[in-house]
Amino acid sequence: MKIALAQIVPKLGDVDANVDIHLNILEKARREKTDLVVFPELGLTGYTLKDLVEEVALDPATDRRFGKIVAGTKGLSAVVGFVEESPAEKGLFYNAAAFVADGRVLHVHRKVFLPTGGIFEEAKFFAQGRDIRSFPAPFGRAGLLICRDFLQYGSSYVHYAAGADMIICISAAPGRGVAGGRAFETSRMWELMGEAVSYFSTAFVVYANRAGSEDGVTFAGGSFVYAPGGRLVAKASAVDPEIAFCSIDLDAVRKARRAWLFKRDEKPDVIWRSLERIVRASED
Amino acid sequence: MPPKINAAFVERVLVAFIRDEFARCGCATAVLGLSGGLDSAVSAALAARALGPGNVLGLIMPYGKAYPEDVRDAAALARKLGLRSETIDIAPQIDLYFAAHPTANRVQRGNKMARERMAILYDYSAREGALILGTSNKTELLIGYGTIHGDLACAVNPVGDLYKTQMRDLAAHLRVPAAIRRKAPTAGLWPGQTDESDIGLTYEELDGILYSLVEGRKTRREALEAGHAAAAVDRVLRMIKRSDFKRMMPPIAKLSIRSVGHDFLYPYDRDK
Repeated sequence: MKIALAQIVPKLGDVDANVDIHLNILEKARREKTDLVVFPELGLTGYTLKDLVEEVALDPATDRRFGKIVAGTKGLSAVVGFVEESPAEKGLFYNAAAFVADGRVLHVHRKVFLPTGGIFEEAKFFAQGRDIRSFPAPFGRAGLLICRDFLQYGSSYVHYAAGADMIICISAAPGRGVAGGRAFETSRMWELMGEAVSYFSTAFVVYANRAGSEDGVTFAGGSFVYAPGGRLVAKASAVDPEIAFCSIDLDAVRKARRAWLFKRDEKPDVIWRSLERIVRASED
Repeated sequence: MPPKINAAFVERVLVAFIRDEFARCGCATAVLGLSGGLDSAVSAALAARALGPGNVLGLIMPYGKAYPEDVRDAAALARKLGLRSETIDIAPQIDLYFAAHPTANRVQRGNKMARERMAILYDYSAREGALILGTSNKTELLIGYGTIHGDLACAVNPVGDLYKTQMRDLAAHLRVPAAIRRKAPTAGLWPGQTDESDIGLTYEELDGILYSLVEGRKTRREALEAGHAAAAVDRVLRMIKRSDFKRMMPPIAKLSIRSVGHDFLYPYDRDK
């Protein structure tokens, strides 16, 4: 299976321009016989939206521009980041990721953990997603997460417990700290989680971050793919835009689960009952 | 002390940042004041790499014949980097103003000069369709060691998150001439002024305290326990507090449901 990590620089607040960027990459990916293209968080809109959120929001089921992207996935799959406003919830805007395959939207994930504090102010502008649900993708079971979702490590566990072969995280993670090597210091945090989750979930972890800068903040790039067992398969540039292609062997999930029995020995029922007790106690 | 930066990586980030910002504004040219000091040299060197030296205009704006060495160093830097440069003496308009409104306050005179330079930069920004590149570093911004609407004014500041001691490392990496790197830093408000005698601390001491307080989020007590002198820490805390106004837009009295500066919130970098 061939994956493309689309580490792009979206134009802030310009959906039409970003649709073109996405379509060009989908076309290139098709020529390269790619199975899955992963675009970054809010790739259709740019990240630092503030009050632009409502101007760029769209309903993936009916929006003409989103329809072009959907049509552009003939013969392959893509994960696309956008601002969702559905007719059922008018005036509520979600930071969302859609899994689109061969001309159909298979799943939409709404970001659950909206970072708010320090340089982040997502909960000021977005409504909060309330579900983490995996789904059958053309290549196996997949789970979507958006940026900070992935750093709250319970999120990946939910996908793992549901039997995900691949956890896909799309991101617009800013870089911070320049005393490290040839990347922002915060990039280490993402790799650490990617390595650990792929190791202990015996699943693929695909992480697509963006490049470029907005309002003085530079996004840290460094998109990656880890194979089950914490094996790094691909890593994109720390700063520059790039489309990083890589090939993976899907059978690695089965092999890892035979070698390491974490999945077989997993007890989601015990975890669930324990969590339920904790949640109930905190509600009292 | 602030950590040692990976200067090559910082250069890469800042060059890309300048390129992005200028592209977004549809602007090819940068204009900045060249004082002959380290900070403007670093900004100029980054802009030359990002935009091409022919797209960077360095304005050397001395007050008469005061600081001949700085003028010489600034001109040499412009030549070395291959920048376009112009020299504009600000003495005529400054002298005219102070002849009518005399003052013995040298800070006031220095601030007036800084704002005259700012006015010339904005005029050249319009003449050239250029964006003004800022040169204020993090140390200066934090303690408010700059003239509001003077040298603090700019369109884009690539160096405002680097402490002075980190600027020195970046300057060395960018091969800024030693004559500029080795001279005592000065705001140039009056002859013989140096930053460190003005502030009463060396930049090493100052950056050490600032780093503890800002990135380290240390309280006053924790900063003292970490070995900083009480008088120095108190002085730095006072300077930070007293200069808050230089780091933000002035408050607008809120009356309506949606107001500029409060809840009419758009990104600076929305694509035009």
